[in-house]
Amino acid sequence: MKLKVYGILILLFVLNFNGKGPGPRLSKTVSISFSGAFALYPLVQTWAAEYNKTHPDVRFDIQAGGAGKGLTDCLSGVVDVGMFSRELTAEEKAKGVWWLSLCRDAVLPTINARNPYIKQIQARGIKKEEFKAMFVDHTITSWEQLLGLQGGPHRVNIYTRADAAGAADAWASFFGKKQENIKGVGVSGDPGVADAVRKDMNALGYNNTLFVFDAKSGKKMQGIEVAPIDINEDGKIDATEDFYKNLRTFLKAVNDGKFPSPPARSLYFLTKGKTQKKEVLDFFKWVLTDGQKLVDAAGYVPLPKAVINEQLKKLTAN
Amino acid sequence: MLISRKLIDIISSRWMLVCLSICLVLPLAIGSGLVLKSLPLLKKHSFSKLVSSSDWSPSDGQFGFWPFITGSLWVTAIALVICIPLCLLASIYLTQFTPKWMLKAMRPVIDILAGIPSVVYGVWGVLVIVPLVGDTIAPRFHVDSLGYSILAGGLVLAVMSIPYILNMLLEVFRQIPLELGEASLSLGATKWETIKYIFLRKGRPGIFSAFGLGFSKALGETMAVLMVVGNVAQLPTSVFDAGYTLPALIANNYGEMMSIPSYDSALMFGALLLFAIIIAINILSRYIIYKAELI
Amino acid sequence: MTIKRKLEENFFRGLSAIFTLLIVFVLLHIIWSIAQKGISALSWQMITQEPKGGFYLGKEGGILNAIAGSFYLAIAATLLAFVISLPVALFMNIYLIKYRRLLLGIRFFLDVLWGVPSIVYGAFGFVILIYLGLRTSLGAGIITVAVMIAPIMIRAMDEVLKTIPIGLQEAAYSLGSTKTETAYKVFFRQALPGFATAVLLAFGRGIGDSASVLFTAGFTDYTPAKLSDPAATLPLSIFFQLGSPVDEVQNRAYASAIILVFIILAISISARFLSGFSKNNQ
Repeated sequence: MKLKVYGILILLFVLNFNGKGPGPRLSKTVSISFSGAFALYPLVQTWAAEYNKTHPDVRFDIQAGGAGKGLTDCLSGVVDVGMFSRELTAEEKAKGVWWLSLCRDAVLPTINARNPYIKQIQARGIKKEEFKAMFVDHTITSWEQLLGLQGGPHRVNIYTRADAAGAADAWASFFGKKQENIKGVGVSGDPGVADAVRKDMNALGYNNTLFVFDAKSGKKMQGIEVAPIDINEDGKIDATEDFYKNLRTFLKAVNDGKFPSPPARSLYFLTKGKTQKKEVLDFFKWVLTDGQKLVDAAGYVPLPKAVINEQLKKLTAN
Repeated sequence: MLISRKLIDIISSRWMLVCLSICLVLPLAIGSGLVLKSLPLLKKHSFSKLVSSSDWSPSDGQFGFWPFITGSLWVTAIALVICIPLCLLASIYLTQFTPKWMLKAMRPVIDILAGIPSVVYGVWGVLVIVPLVGDTIAPRFHVDSLGYSILAGGLVLAVMSIPYILNMLLEVFRQIPLELGEASLSLGATKWETIKYIFLRKGRPGIFSAFGLGFSKALGETMAVLMVVGNVAQLPTSVFDAGYTLPALIANNYGEMMSIPSYDSALMFGALLLFAIIIAINILSRYIIYKAELI
Repeated sequence: MTIKRKLEENFFRGLSAIFTLLIVFVLLHIIWSIAQKGISALSWQMITQEPKGGFYLGKEGGILNAIAGSFYLAIAATLLAFVISLPVALFMNIYLIKYRRLLLGIRFFLDVLWGVPSIVYGAFGFVILIYLGLRTSLGAGIITVAVMIAPIMIRAMDEVLKTIPIGLQEAAYSLGSTKTETAYKVFFRQALPGFATAVLLAFGRGIGDSASVLFTAGFTDYTPAKLSDPAATLPLSIFFQLGSPVDEVQNRAYASAIILVFIILAISISARFLSGFSKNNQ
């Protein structure tokens, strides 16, 4: 009796693998496979669903496994496209990778909204060297030391990403370093860092845009504030540096290039050499045109017009 | 008829032998595969330097595993220190002091604890244990801690190890013959004395082996510990410091292991270390129980 | 003197009761904190639909891909492990029963394997995949998990077979059965309920594991249709949804965890039921 039950289970299981049910399958279906960064996965998934509405004959096969795995997979030819969330190193470029910018993303330094010196920090801003002194060198260890005040001391508690992440790399390269150089408590994932900063009054961390600003309301997430970057290093945040009011003003600053890059970064599709597969090129073109409208909702910044034209040229060139 | 039966017998016994060989060869294959992958790293640095150095900066070609080894051992030790008395007394209570249905009712509880994915333990740890350590326990000892610490990792790990250790201990106490206990009771010993002098003594090898296996389970645990332990490659000075464990190192960086030279080799060396430590501990604890079984 | 003994007795009785309660309390606390966040996101849609485009940004969809992926993976891995484990366990208890030391050695070896953490299996599988230039796939995940749970299954079956009296074996021989016939017709039938428990336990291990499949099965939104497709699994799906900036998606992660806990509870209860059945039968 029990053997029968197992038999039926096995049968069901085997049947399941005979294709996807009885429905007719389009013979012309083309499959495009993707592998790579977790950061890009939701956006590419959204793109695929939207693209399928007008191109039902393309089957997307997208899997996430990390940027490095995406690069490896695409170089070894097991997938068509790699999804990549950080800058390529010189060695990686030398391996014959062809890349296409998709959109931009910005990493913001974050502090707790209850920070005892929140007003001073937001009026004064923090210089690049000061960030480095706090995140890497640990030569500035308290908020008082940073602001030149007496009292406290309230120690600066650094939070960083534990998992290898494009965001961490982008933030570290802002002051010419790598993720492994940032010395702080390592927390898992973007929400982990955001939670840690939200709970700790003396926290200093960094997060991707959508973990700082709420995608729906555009307001800052509760409990989190931005530590503004003193870009021109004049010791105060003036009108041109003050763009952290809401998501819209911030994205505009990234788009206009007011917010430095890095920590703003580009996200890429990679192929092994320039791909010759027509369906892939068509999809790439769509991503750069119609696809850009979906970028906002995923929390990324659409590419500026000039960059799009440049990328389109790259696509059509031989 | 007889020939075909004989033939089936021969084929089937060969097949059995093949399967057994697969099972026995496998760990050797894993071990040698990991050694093979770590060789490039071992060629550049000596084994003793890799294990004893605390300098971890892969981009500069520095691979010191000491912080990860100490971190792993610290977290595991804390977990066991909490878990052992808890499980020991709970298993005694369930097998000796309560009616049978209580034990039966406890089984699904243990199974669920064992079955909850470690990610969920990790989330629970971040929500409950990290603030508990940072805001309540550390101030008691007048220490400044952010909560993400060796202690938090150990506490979460202790909870996760409970089902494994408890299950094995229940098995140990179940196997001790009832007559032994009854004889002791009839001589006028109290229930607790019987447990203390008869059961704990009789079950000692089994108890040791349960802790040994619990240790290897705890040492290899990945996701939950990763989420609460702080992941700083430093030598911890107290349990309130952040630490880093070997499994966390592998899981955090495997996606990027192709990007830095020797990085993949280093991560596989980490896996090899983990494998070696666990095999050693296992052999030790199993040795104790088999020794006892042979007598 | 007697007062002291009485005191000690009561003290330890109380302490052990408290510790037991503590364990139950911790479990309830974990379940409660998951339920609190996940119950609102729990819906029929969660288990009947695949993620739609933008699912991880708060749009429609469910986690059917992960539920199906987990079941495919765990069922296939359990079957595969069963095919290997059954002959090994029978072999040990029929052919090797006379070689006590060798048997001890094998059991020792299997127990050591039991303790190897899943991340080591996963990392090893990952290296092989890269070496062979393969993508992560359902098939790779199945093999990895099968390899991981086989020692557990063999030892669990072994424990069941150990209890079968040697007389039964001798009786079968004296009636003219070959060793194979004895193994599959007599021993197998005798141990069937116990085997079912062993299989279910291994299945439970397989469905809840994340570290080994993280490296080998990959992650995707589609329900896999072939062995070479990547497959999502429940634990990874939970991990992935937790990484979303959108609150609703994070709540769905907890809802997914509730689903997983229910699956495990069902497995646990049926395994206990079957083992109870086996005891009554003997």
